Amino acid sequence: MNLEEYIASGILDSYAIGAVSDQEVREVNCLSSIYPEIRKELDELMLSTENYALLHSIEPPAGLKDRIMRQLTFEDADETIVRPLPIDRDLSAEATRPYTYKTSWMVAAAAALAVLFFSYFLITQLQTNQKTMASLRESNDSMQLQLKQLRTSQGQTDQILAMLRQPGARTLELRGNEKAPQGDMLVFWNPSTQQVAVEVKSLPALPADKQYQLWSLVDGKPVDAGVFDAGTAVQKMNRSIGKADAFAVTIEKRGGSPTPSMATLLAMSPVA
Amino acid sequence: MKRQSSLVSESVLIEKLVQRDQKAFHWLYDQYSPALYGVVLRIVRDEEHAQDLVQDIFVKIWKNLDAYDSSKGRLFTWMLNVARNTAIDAIRSQKSQPSAANAIRTDEDNVHVVDRQHNTQQPNPEHIGIQEVVGQLRPDRRQLIDLVYFGGYTHEEAADELNLPLGTVKTRIRAALQELKQLFKS
Repeated sequence: MNLEEYIASGILDSYAIGAVSDQEVREVNCLSSIYPEIRKELDELMLSTENYALLHSIEPPAGLKDRIMRQLTFEDADETIVRPLPIDRDLSAEATRPYTYKTSWMVAAAAALAVLFFSYFLITQLQTNQKTMASLRESNDSMQLQLKQLRTSQGQTDQILAMLRQPGARTLELRGNEKAPQGDMLVFWNPSTQQVAVEVKSLPALPADKQYQLWSLVDGKPVDAGVFDAGTAVQKMNRSIGKADAFAVTIEKRGGSPTPSMATLLAMSPVA
Repeated sequence: MKRQSSLVSESVLIEKLVQRDQKAFHWLYDQYSPALYGVVLRIVRDEEHAQDLVQDIFVKIWKNLDAYDSSKGRLFTWMLNVARNTAIDAIRSQKSQPSAANAIRTDEDNVHVVDRQHNTQQPNPEHIGIQEVVGQLRPDRRQLIDLVYFGGYTHEEAADELNLPLGTVKTRIRAALQELKQLFKS
């Protein structure tokens, strides 16, 4: 573009005294930022216009300044760096925010507390149920055990009853000698079926390696009739005894001895 | 050197103004209110009205300091522009009530009234300068500058008013400004 021609057109002069349209203002602003020659001419013209305007300066009346200052808001006279605007903003933010903060906090806390209580309730309930189940299982186990024991003893009792009911069954009472003054037991024997059983009423307890042994005396000779313990239940002996003149009890080593140790003879009773 | 130091002081002043510093406002008012009041009075030709407008102008400047862009021109240029536009808008809205033709004619009369006021009243030291400068300016050129700058006339309005072709108005504005430029250079 021809700068001299543009400057000579007078548009810059018109711009300087404010006689151009908005579109021309934009055009001049744009061109003056691109071309230093235009910028320089425009600056000189603007300065001339301003100087011309300054020539018309008139001191305004004294009261005008105060009138204007009453319309304005000023920063505090103190030269502090504190700026009220951000502080105001913070305050207004604090005034509204804590409420929403607080409520949301309280709702969250209440919900968490409710969940906590409910979980605690559930856990307690579960533990109670588990305890009840455990005790039920335990009592069930012990009852089954008792049932088993009862069945066993029932079976034994049935056997003994059956044995005793058979014709020819005899009951002998053996009393302890001076070595076992409290000793008292019964021997059930049926010569025809050759079955023998004992029921201890009271015999001294023995060390773990010892057992009582029952003997039947046939023609003065002791015959092993089986071992038994000091328990009170009726114990069926697993030996068959067809003949016996008397029955005797000794203390022998666990499992029994082939011949009785006479020193430990506790009781003896002849078959009547 | 001198120019640079004034630039620095202006940027410091603007910083203070943006911080809404009271001392900076005092400085700004003391420095520029005669210029703004003079221009506004010249445009509206009524002291009371001019004072009201100067008040509006300073409030406007105070509120819109953030809009001022120092890269686009000096602070005074911006302030003068705000003052001139505000005052011209004010007389335009006043003029819109009576008929346009009448308003322009009254306008012309008022220019002379104000000129007479300036010649007789206001023994302001500034006006010694105005006489020196304006006295050297060719009267037809001065008339055109005043019509456009203080009357807010467009090229077309000025051409109508002065019964001149549009091209002559444009050429005469250029001649007037170039003459003004030379006057202030010397």
